[in-house]
Amino acid sequence: MRSVMYLPPSGQKRRGFLKKGLVGGALLALGGVGALSLRKGPPRDLPHEGLKVLDAQEYAVMAALAARIIPDRPGFPTVEELGTAAAADAVLQKTDPSVQAEVKQLLRLFENAVTNALFGGRMRPFTALLPPAQDDVLREWRDSRLSVRRTGYQALRGLLLAAYYGDARTWAAVGYPGPVEVKAP
Amino acid sequence: MSDGRIYRGAEVTADLQLSCDVCIVGSGPGGAVLAHELVGKGLSVVMLEEGGHHTREGFDQRESTAYPRLYQELGNRSTDDLSIQILQGRSVGGGSTVNWCSSFRTPDRVLAHWRDAHGVEGLTPEALAPHFEAVEKRLSIAEWPLELMNANNRVLWDGCGKLGYQRALIRRNVSGCANLGSCGFGCPVDAKQSMLVTYLKDAVAAGLTLYANTRAERFEWNGRKVTAVHAEVMDEATDRPTGRRITVRPKVAVASGGAINSPALLMRSDLFAQGRVGKRLFLHPVVVMGAEFEKPVEGFRGAPQACYSHQFLERGQGKLGFFLEVPPIHPMLAATTFSGFGKDHQALMARLPYVQAMLALTVDGFMEDEEGGTVRLRGPRDRRLKIDYPLKPYHFEAFKVACREMARIQLAAGAKQVMSLHADPVVIRNEQELAKLEDAPWAPLRLRVVTAHQMGGCSMGKNPDQSVVDNRLRYHGMDNLFVVDGSVLPTALGVNPQETLFAIARWGSHHVAAAVG
Repeated sequence: MRSVMYLPPSGQKRRGFLKKGLVGGALLALGGVGALSLRKGPPRDLPHEGLKVLDAQEYAVMAALAARIIPDRPGFPTVEELGTAAAADAVLQKTDPSVQAEVKQLLRLFENAVTNALFGGRMRPFTALLPPAQDDVLREWRDSRLSVRRTGYQALRGLLLAAYYGDARTWAAVGYPGPVEVKAP
Repeated sequence: MSDGRIYRGAEVTADLQLSCDVCIVGSGPGGAVLAHELVGKGLSVVMLEEGGHHTREGFDQRESTAYPRLYQELGNRSTDDLSIQILQGRSVGGGSTVNWCSSFRTPDRVLAHWRDAHGVEGLTPEALAPHFEAVEKRLSIAEWPLELMNANNRVLWDGCGKLGYQRALIRRNVSGCANLGSCGFGCPVDAKQSMLVTYLKDAVAAGLTLYANTRAERFEWNGRKVTAVHAEVMDEATDRPTGRRITVRPKVAVASGGAINSPALLMRSDLFAQGRVGKRLFLHPVVVMGAEFEKPVEGFRGAPQACYSHQFLERGQGKLGFFLEVPPIHPMLAATTFSGFGKDHQALMARLPYVQAMLALTVDGFMEDEEGGTVRLRGPRDRRLKIDYPLKPYHFEAFKVACREMARIQLAAGAKQVMSLHADPVVIRNEQELAKLEDAPWAPLRLRVVTAHQMGGCSMGKNPDQSVVDNRLRYHGMDNLFVVDGSVLPTALGVNPQETLFAIARWGSHHVAAAVG
């Protein structure tokens, strides 16, 4: 385990981590969401089409985050139904390799039990926590005195919310009627 | 002169070597108007555009299509620390393809400030007037009628009316507008008089050759002369280089990539102007307030911007002024822009048709010693840029006052409750609760800050020690290199920028043409 290095090392790597790239292309980029072939099932199952950027462990963290940022709610499609974590993975494929590396690093930091122990006194990795404790971790990142953690929270939150609400299957839930039929001028 | 053409990346199947009078990099408001004027004078013009060529048929009114296709970095451009989200266009037509149509002449006081503080000569209200008149005519710029104003704008209009605040109708560049509300995704009925359907269309008919999906890497130069523009052709689907290259050898070269991308192109060309290239980037940093109403607002429908207030444009020495407008409200951008996560965030999304939003755009660049942001390269081959914009105490002072005033306007217009875009939102139900804003955290990444207006980075002025381009928009120290876009503005504007850029490009076209000789 990487001791207390929840912050990336100084110098080049850390600069990279701090840069906008955390999200890089990800935040609103979930353009192809609707076109993905998606499947139903427990969130930790890997998507049928396979992972494109994330590995299985990173994907599990992404799926766990998705389930807390967009929890089940009557009238809303679930993140499992929409394959939101897989959609986020697919979007990352379109981004710069440096962005991909940063998002992977960020997911591992989120999962890191040492990080959680340091900041929240919890000894278990993020994916092994109960939902209320996962929400606490999200709030700790959101409200952290370290701007890099706030950046990380915004990055993953934005990525997943764009993946979910970029999918036309959420329109009914939010009362959005969608595009207006138009005739060519 | 024979007809021109717009080529897509896929049509370029071999390396190309081209010669012309003028090569323009970028097809947005600056480049498009410039190209139109130059071909009108009989000059041969080649334009290179990094983004794709998308037209009415492809504008499907969907956010998930529009952001990746029509915006910089798939809609995710931002400062390095993510503290400011930057919405900036990227396709043929640039920002004009996706902007919200608001059209303002450059305020006289801004031109006077440029003259007095930045040594800008020649850009007077009198000199620009004929150019404003010409573009207003060509783009059908006219006031949007009050009776067509949507409910989202109506909150700003009514609230300002109740509080006695200055308010006015916005002029828009539309012809036959269907009031769909999808301006930000490309107009599906060609009602928006963007560059695509006006100046670029006319310029192509008069001989302009435009290569889309073509990214200019650098200007090659020798002494005081640019000798070539080197570009790589990009694959439309992956936005990665196809391996095909285009080399243009023009008599005159012009950077029209906009603030952020033009400074980057100059820096990739080893043109730094003693470190001033990429400095003085101004963004009109924006804070947003949300409001919930009992009656539907449906901010996804109707002309996105129909009125504004300049009540707080000037707030005295040492303070940033701000102006008020509203944004359209669609699910994807609303979800990422509004704060919070989990149940609270979902509850807000479930009420989306009842949600109103208001923008306060701070006017940056006018205070002494205010430096704004910077654009830098990461590495010689790295396409991603490094954008920084330090938010200072005076920004947060303005943000706090702006959030309070927007809340007052929303409450005056009948909002049930108002919420800030703090990471942990401040919820306000009445005037007394406005005080809650005092205790909120006013710091980067604790409050959502966005921008859709990018200005500066190659600022204009007489003195080569203080500016990047001279009073003819020519790069100091070069004979045949110009910058014609929003990057030449020495400060922000205090109004939406597009009309200023049209007019400056039209004004500057005479200087560019003169340099062809």
